[in-house]
Amino acid sequence: MAVSSDLRTSEARDADRDGPLLELEGVSKYFGQGSGLFGGLQFDPDTFPPISVDRERVKAVDDVSLEIQPGETLGLVGESGCGKSTLGRTILRLLEPTDGDIYFRGENLADLSGEKLRQKRSEIQMIFQDPQSSLDPRMKVGQIIEEPMRAHGMGDDEGREARAKELLEKVGLDPRHYNRYPHAFSGGQRQRINLARALSVDPDFVVCDEPVSALDVSIQAQVLNTMERLQDEFGLTYLFIAHDLSVIRHISDRVAVMYLGHIVEVAEKEELFENPQHPYTKALLESIPVPDPRESGARGVLEGEVPSPQNPPSGCRFRTRCPQLIAPEAYELTEEEWAHTRAFMRAVKRRTFEPIAAAEMRREFFDDDLPRGDAGEIVRDAIDAIATDTERGGESADERDGWAEATDHLLEPFAEQSICARERPAYDLEPAYGSGEHFAACHRHR
Amino acid sequence: MSSEPLLRVENLKTQFFTEAGTVRAVDGISFEVYEGEIVGLVGESGAGKSVASMSLLRLVERPGEIVAGEVTYKGETLFGLEDGPNGDLRKRDEMLSNEEIRTRIRGNEIAVIFQDPMESLNPVFTVGGQLREFIELNRGLSEDEARREAIDMLREVGIPDPEQRYEEYPHQFSGGMRQRVLIAMALACEPSLIIADEPTTALDVTVEGQILDLVDDLQKKYGTSFIWVTHDLGVVAEICDRVNVMYLGEIVEQAPVDELFYDTKHPYTQALLESMPRPDRTVADLEPIEGVMPEAINPPSGCRFHPRCPDARAVCKRVHPEPKVVADADGEPHRAACVKHDVFDVGYDESPPLEGAVDGEGSRRTDEPQSELAANPAGDEPGGDGGE
Ligand code: SF4
Ligand code: SF4
Repeated sequence: MAVSSDLRTSEARDADRDGPLLELEGVSKYFGQGSGLFGGLQFDPDTFPPISVDRERVKAVDDVSLEIQPGETLGLVGESGCGKSTLGRTILRLLEPTDGDIYFRGENLADLSGEKLRQKRSEIQMIFQDPQSSLDPRMKVGQIIEEPMRAHGMGDDEGREARAKELLEKVGLDPRHYNRYPHAFSGGQRQRINLARALSVDPDFVVCDEPVSALDVSIQAQVLNTMERLQDEFGLTYLFIAHDLSVIRHISDRVAVMYLGHIVEVAEKEELFENPQHPYTKALLESIPVPDPRESGARGVLEGEVPSPQNPPSGCRFRTRCPQLIAPEAYELTEEEWAHTRAFMRAVKRRTFEPIAAAEMRREFFDDDLPRGDAGEIVRDAIDAIATDTERGGESADERDGWAEATDHLLEPFAEQSICARERPAYDLEPAYGSGEHFAACHRHR
Repeated sequence: MSSEPLLRVENLKTQFFTEAGTVRAVDGISFEVYEGEIVGLVGESGAGKSVASMSLLRLVERPGEIVAGEVTYKGETLFGLEDGPNGDLRKRDEMLSNEEIRTRIRGNEIAVIFQDPMESLNPVFTVGGQLREFIELNRGLSEDEARREAIDMLREVGIPDPEQRYEEYPHQFSGGMRQRVLIAMALACEPSLIIADEPTTALDVTVEGQILDLVDDLQKKYGTSFIWVTHDLGVVAEICDRVNVMYLGEIVEQAPVDELFYDTKHPYTQALLESMPRPDRTVADLEPIEGVMPEAINPPSGCRFHPRCPDARAVCKRVHPEPKVVADADGEPHRAACVKHDVFDVGYDESPPLEGAVDGEGSRRTDEPQSELAANPAGDEPGGDGGE
């Protein structure tokens, strides 16, 4: 077989330069709220004029800084809507960052244009989750793989074909399938075609967005192994975006955890999984169903839902759900008093219980023991606002919408005064495993 | 567990008649569900688990058809065939009519929760309204009573501020909240059995955790039995009492959950467990299962797993194993459909290893993509249309 293409091997790249391959500095990506004709218009009959232009923007990625070293796999994990895919696309400049800088081999991508940018682009490739829709069904496999080479003006027809065939083999497909259409392939095989296409322009860095989530377990393992083999062979650097913590644990060298547009924790894999320091990471890890019946997980450890990224919480974005939200300094609350108050505040905010009598509420949420001092006063007022047995001005609790009143009454002095609400946390910690850096965005480490 | 099962499925077969041929999506499965237990039906896509669960309530649509077997629920025949006078099969007299299934069984006795709640909720009506109407119709309550009951149910399944959310539309709910609504709906008539088809698969892991917790609580409180259809062995380990592992239309292993994981008897189950990355420990090398699941139109001879099985021997190609009791799991049967167990007594030990099969000495490349190359490369989408 004629091998005319020159696939670079890992040694060929080593001399390139020291330092991170990719650096993100304060990268943000905001989206205008809603598109379309009336997307930005808000109707609110309580104001005048009742229609306003909504300038709120969705802060999908907010001030993210990260480094990725050559040859490593950085796992980026988070739940849907956390901004991980947006971040991946912003790195590829499929999306224009709203703010911040992205350096590739020390060069600011924003400063590049024309031919230079095109060239850089070929060094960064992406593979997506859904191998079905990312392959054009009307194109043959060979054409699909050659397309990026053509776009970047690489080789002649013959050279491209030879390279495509070689890549087919490298990703574990039969070069004879060069002339088939994608529909003839299974999900796992389609993802291999995607890999071959991404590798055709000889990139150094591949952003992999949920590349195996659509695949069955047994096929997933095959594709993951191939990806690892290709990484070794071609000296690739991966940003591996996934929601599946098991896959992340297997494939990554380091892991970054995202929540609501912020990176909340970054550490080497073993450190992150064995010594997590951010309450959100802990909650995530505790929620995963472990394939071991003797291991009964803690499971539903997180209350409530992710807030809207349009109006995210100030300070630490996890604070509205954090089981460890820090007590405001103004009151000298004991651990227990604060735990009770926090739970009560959230139950009121989410209205998770039916209105009951004041005494009952005191018993259920505070063991009949309200916090002392000012904090106790605040709680007492809140209880009165929703209790079924208080009457104020002849109105029953129902009529005066005590819930909203009680919620404000509690959030203002407690939640909003916590350091968690007032400052965005960022701390570097000593790792317990390995010697890498460990970043945690949690004021517990102040 | 000695008492009569709540649900008994015997030799159930469901097929899809397509242009390409007959897809044997479910090919003779038998299992039981007892009161108050959660029974897992686990497998990869194309294994037939969803079709199997839908067959129980006769929810299979054309070109699919239940062609054999018996499904008995609390002594009533949900499905049953018998030999007719001309040697053909015909429906048994005592088999419930479609009408009876719809009015008496579905919802009231056996409820279903699907993966995508939007399929079960009507987008143009409020969530509360739909729940209320469902309760009104099924439990014969007045509108006011049904409304109160609906709000109580919403609160019960953890929907915050239920009075307010009662008035909202499905699209105003998050995925997790919609799934809670479906659980509320499923529970509303206090059924004895709930069939849950991948109900947490589309959810984020923390939300999944919340839902599993909720199911656990409700199950304890109401004593409802569940059939839990899933591809996720983590979820199985988390909530199931007993498990059926399906491969290509058949149940290949059936055991209490602890035995399934700690005393695995079928090579497919074993291979699945070894191919999985784990959240609780770092697995340096994954051992993928070679190849892909073949199509259910023309399944392999003998043991259907033999082309991929690391333990396959010549006899596996010839003998088709039905699940047999291979061990005693604390008084409960542990079944496996694999001839390497002594009870099968078909000469496995003497049989030569299959040509091209793996000898288990590590000669196999763990990353063996070539094996995925079938003559027809689309081999791993069995029953893509008719399967799941
Ligand atoms: S900063 Fe506060 S709210 Fe945020 S994770 Fe830490 S303790 Fe929780
Ligand atoms: S019967 Fe043979 S091929 Fe089938 S699972 Fe057992 S050992 Fe493997």
